[in-house]
Amino acid sequence: MNADVSRKRLHVIQGKFLVSDQPDVVLTTILGSCVAACLRDPVAGVGGMNHFLLPGNANGGGSGEATRYGVHLMELLINALLQKGARKGRLEAKLFGGAQTMSRLSDVGRKNGIFAEKFLGDEGISVVSSSLGGDLGRKVEFWPVSGRARQNILSGNETLKAVAREQPVAPKPAPADEVEFF
Amino acid sequence: MSMAQKIKALIVDDQVTSRLLLGDALQQLGFTQVTVAGDGEQAYQIMQKDPHHLVISDFNMPKMDGLGLLEAIRGNAATKRAAFIILTAQGDRALVQKAASLGANNVLAKPFTIDKMKAAIEAVFGAL
Repeated sequence: MNADVSRKRLHVIQGKFLVSDQPDVVLTTILGSCVAACLRDPVAGVGGMNHFLLPGNANGGGSGEATRYGVHLMELLINALLQKGARKGRLEAKLFGGAQTMSRLSDVGRKNGIFAEKFLGDEGISVVSSSLGGDLGRKVEFWPVSGRARQNILSGNETLKAVAREQPVAPKPAPADEVEFF
Repeated sequence: MSMAQKIKALIVDDQVTSRLLLGDALQQLGFTQVTVAGDGEQAYQIMQKDPHHLVISDFNMPKMDGLGLLEAIRGNAATKRAAFIILTAQGDRALVQKAASLGANNVLAKPFTIDKMKAAIEAVFGAL
């Protein structure tokens, strides 16, 4: 679940996010073309990570379904941080992923990276470091309270496995998705 | 002039990106009179000076949230007849019921689709 967490080492799977204010928690993820945004409020001492892969028609701006889905995933993470005492104006971001792997012919990885950078830029959230693109996947660890992040570049074979797990499909929307006529 | 062109719409969301997406969506539906506000307080000030026909508001916002804005708008004779649609990233039944009890016309989950937005607006105003 995308809930508050207190166990120590937590893996963030595609389409999900986790937030924590526990200093000993490490958020981890494995990325091929996917992007993970790691956000933190250094004053409130709370941070979190999401992990997304937008459908292939996503682009940096635009108004398509894919962009709305990406904005939704960023908003869920930001809302969860605000609920734990973060302030939007203090948030800082680290971005990882978006590899342009050989097994994916489209440039979906690059588009995901561009989307994340544009979103954060539009929202006035500073990106303090990023590692985007390239042709190999990444294993990322993020300490949400200290903001420390570490990445290991995957081998070619590991990258293929990571990409094979990635599904560029939007998950089912929230329960209130059905139009409610009062 | 189409119905969409006649309606004055107010978009309320604390996220710049969401405001842009909503603005794009309304433009695609034929709206030409669209105002934006960054939170409920600002939206309510705009509504007091210049009542809009339609308010599409995020739920989760600083200062005054979407339900607070709805309550304020329904409590003011000059604005209480406005159509009010709430958008929420965290769709749960309790929120939907609270919104209904406060007089919301609709609750839509994010990420919304253009078709669902159109249906929600047309349920109030008729064909756009």
